[in-house]
Amino acid sequence: MPGRASDPGNSLVPFSPEVRDPVVYPIRHGIKTPLFRVFVSWSHGNLLNVACLQASPPESNAAAGTAESEVNIGGKVVEVRLGDGDGEINEAQRRRIAYGSVPAFAMLQSRRNSLSMMSRMASSSFRNEWWRHVLEYSNQIKDLLGTPRLPSSSVIEDPKMVLQQIEEPTSLKVAWELMEIFYVDKQSSAWLPERLVDWLADYDCILAKTEPAIYSKLVNLQKKIVNIQVIEDDPEYWDGISSALAVGWLDVVVKLLRLHGSYQLDQLGNRETENGLVEAVAVLVSTMPRMRADVPTGKLGQCYKTKPDFVKAWEKWRGHITKLECSAFWVQCGHRQTREGLRNLLQIMLGNIKNLTTSTCHWMELYISHFLFIRPFSMGLEGMYSLAQKCMQLKPSSNSSGLIGVFMGILGGNTEVVLAECSKAFGPWMVAHAMELLMATDDHADILLHEERYNLGGISMEELYRLIYAQVLSSHPLTWQIAPTYLASCSKQGLGLLEVLLYRQSAHNYRVTLKNLEICRLYELENISECIMKIAGVYYWKHGRRGSGIHWLQQAHDEVRLNRIAQQLFDCIGKSISDDSFKQWEGLVELLGSEVGTAGGLEFLHKYRDFKRSLHLVHDKKAVDAARQTVESLVQLMRSPSTPRRFWLPLLHDSVHLLNWQGRPLLNVSETTLLLSKLQELSMAKLHPDFSDFDLPPQALATVRLALAKNLRQAILEES
Amino acid sequence: MERVVATLEKGAQCCGWSHGGRRLAVGHADGAVSVHDSSDPSTRASARWMAHTCGVINVVWIPPEFGDAIACVCADGALSLWDEIGQDAQAVTWKMCKFFEGTGSQVLDVQFGVSLTTLRMVAAYSDGHVKVYESMDPLELNKWQLQAEFQNVIDSVSRFGKPSCVSASIAWSPCRGENQQSSFVLGYNSDLSQFNSPKIWEFEEAHQRWVPVAELALPGDKGDRVHAVAWALNIGRPYEVVAVATCKGIAIWHVGLNPESDGRLSTEKVALLAGHDGEVWQLDWDMSGMTLASTGADGMVRLWQSNLNGVWHEQAALECNGVQH
Repeated sequence: MPGRASDPGNSLVPFSPEVRDPVVYPIRHGIKTPLFRVFVSWSHGNLLNVACLQASPPESNAAAGTAESEVNIGGKVVEVRLGDGDGEINEAQRRRIAYGSVPAFAMLQSRRNSLSMMSRMASSSFRNEWWRHVLEYSNQIKDLLGTPRLPSSSVIEDPKMVLQQIEEPTSLKVAWELMEIFYVDKQSSAWLPERLVDWLADYDCILAKTEPAIYSKLVNLQKKIVNIQVIEDDPEYWDGISSALAVGWLDVVVKLLRLHGSYQLDQLGNRETENGLVEAVAVLVSTMPRMRADVPTGKLGQCYKTKPDFVKAWEKWRGHITKLECSAFWVQCGHRQTREGLRNLLQIMLGNIKNLTTSTCHWMELYISHFLFIRPFSMGLEGMYSLAQKCMQLKPSSNSSGLIGVFMGILGGNTEVVLAECSKAFGPWMVAHAMELLMATDDHADILLHEERYNLGGISMEELYRLIYAQVLSSHPLTWQIAPTYLASCSKQGLGLLEVLLYRQSAHNYRVTLKNLEICRLYELENISECIMKIAGVYYWKHGRRGSGIHWLQQAHDEVRLNRIAQQLFDCIGKSISDDSFKQWEGLVELLGSEVGTAGGLEFLHKYRDFKRSLHLVHDKKAVDAARQTVESLVQLMRSPSTPRRFWLPLLHDSVHLLNWQGRPLLNVSETTLLLSKLQELSMAKLHPDFSDFDLPPQALATVRLALAKNLRQAILEES
Repeated sequence: MERVVATLEKGAQCCGWSHGGRRLAVGHADGAVSVHDSSDPSTRASARWMAHTCGVINVVWIPPEFGDAIACVCADGALSLWDEIGQDAQAVTWKMCKFFEGTGSQVLDVQFGVSLTTLRMVAAYSDGHVKVYESMDPLELNKWQLQAEFQNVIDSVSRFGKPSCVSASIAWSPCRGENQQSSFVLGYNSDLSQFNSPKIWEFEEAHQRWVPVAELALPGDKGDRVHAVAWALNIGRPYEVVAVATCKGIAIWHVGLNPESDGRLSTEKVALLAGHDGEVWQLDWDMSGMTLASTGADGMVRLWQSNLNGVWHEQAALECNGVQH
């Protein structure tokens, strides 16, 4: 049962009321059905994890006819990548395009920002400037999508090579070019028909893959002419010439005409008139007036940049054709095929619709031939649209590829249709990047794409399509790092999505963590940066890399966890006060530093560390200074309110040999009295149930008391 | 388009993915739990241990700020929390840090949320009671305090009978902002209608209590048994989006961000999506909160999106029950 759409409610956009049936993709997981359960979870971007769990088969079935390995399988987990775009371009190429388009996109955005900053500038002057930047952007992207056609580089041309074999353009590039022609390049809008003629030259070889087209006709002819002796007798020769002429491939026409047998030296004498006619037509073809800025090297025709000049030349040229058409030489031309073939060419040049229709294969070719021979001037989109429909009626085509959809969308002047067709045929990359072209000169598209919509969660279509593309980038470990560039250009929800993306990256990999933090720094995402550091800190702490753990938690200013760690250390030291175990923790105490931590425990840990260190220095009886210093630390520790009572006795017991110091006493009277009073407090507390005296010998208290008493006696003697 | 990334052992009966979707925990019928890290289907699980003596029916990952840890719900209603710890990267083990016994009523679903820096756990019990626990230690998951206990009903004064609940579905609000109120949505599949409808519970700091701020069911549908709920991530929308699956289909709700004068959040049901032939098993929103994936008893994974006009429709479907070769 297909899914049903919900109630449409109030439509904002008249387009796309129709809801297509969903595409159903079978998942090949290799598990026997029926399934017990299916679990899903979205991973990064458009990656969906799907777990298919098998229903437990009855025991009897399990044994029969099932391999042992299969019996033990309970399910499979499949990773599904959704919405990757068209299949024409492989993954590596797609990644190359994705990476390559980032600089162009980023540059355009930064230009837009700086221009709009300056222009509180009048919006009209912004528009006048803007399309040039978009054109530059468009050219950069176009270069990425495929190398431009270059004229033959060989010095000696093979006369029989009429059709240059070129690197086949992708339909992605052809679609891009189409949008550039219509939306961006203001300069050549007067020469639109001629730009479409050039465009068809690229598109025709793509068309030829699925449908009969002039390109394939010429490729076949090219293969044939090498082996034919009397070429002009072959109907395919004339057919090829007329087709090439119909779509304006004048160089091919002239090359083919010059292969005519009458040019051969031994024939020239007998077929003078015939040759004259062929040459006359060839000259007419090569001097055809064309309204365009220039003609690429190797291509033919005479350029006229302005309409009046062109019209004058056009009339004159047509006059020549009519004159030749009516000339008496045709009677003298004995070769029927040549006569008919050449007159057909003249009819094409005169714009005879019947001849044009016969010579073209696809409606698009017929359409382009209109611009060459019937109405070589720019006309409004409406006119172009109805002409396209007329051509479609004359030459119905079964195949309606995505490119045709884009083309008709453009002619129909419907931005949403163009975007929808782009999205359907070429995927999210195309839409995210082509929007810039659509908005370059078209105010309506600009408003439409920038309008914030409640239905989309308060964002514009521009932002939506960028978010969708960023999701696609996020799906792959090799491309997610360029997603931030696109997300940063989304003012409403871009950074929100970027935060989610960063939060979902693994904290287990040190390099990934650093990369994430770098991105956070770049886009000033402090919260998420702290969150990433916290995740890393806890991970390392729990996985035995305690130093790294503390480092990351400190970076994250995570006082709650750092205090907890200090507490843990504290408890740990409390449990076993032996020197060995302290060594183990000393480094961590060092790392924790003194800045972080409001817990009393941490302060104590630092003092305790200092005390232990200086205690080690008092290794012989002569180190009086060290001993004096250690005693000072001891007194400080005993005075400090942050020193827990349970440490008093171990501290004093550790220092017994200092209290029993030979020679001058290390503690004065008041210090000794302080320690004695603490000892007294301890004796009282010993009766308390939660009192713990660690692993000290039972006589520890007595030993300390005796040592203090001795010290007090000496101190009194000394001071009196 | 698809590739197999893991092969599960016989007896696997529930799955849970970690926050980034990179790690998978699987619960087995014999009480074992396994964790899969590799994306190579030929490799075995990176860890496997016996978590319970009877089948594990649900595994849920804990937010990554609290380490790599999972909660396992057992068929007998017990709940255990497991934490991955190690002396170094190689010697990693899963240690049980807390065990909640299934006394009387069973745990049906459990979900974790972070509010400020505290980890909270909501557990839905088979007697219609909801318990909210708070972790007392930001590093260890062994100390929990019961913070609140209430029934999933709007009217807390009236006395209801004791429901018998088959399943429950909880989803925390995925907001992570410092000032965000902690809230979650919970719906039951039970024999007492008052308990079923999904309610959004929000923690009221002033009175230190949980209050229902919205009910995601139209007056006629309040008794509908809820099979699944999912709260979409909000990356900047002026409203929240919550999906609720009942026997009538999958409803998409818009929920206001700020309470109205009566303290309740405004709600609007914007779509009811029918497509699954049979019960809906699970719902999951993608990271932008724009695409909803649902699975159901028809063996299909369906992907739902709203178009530019706000019309929700099924964008694509993945058929898992097809003929396999």
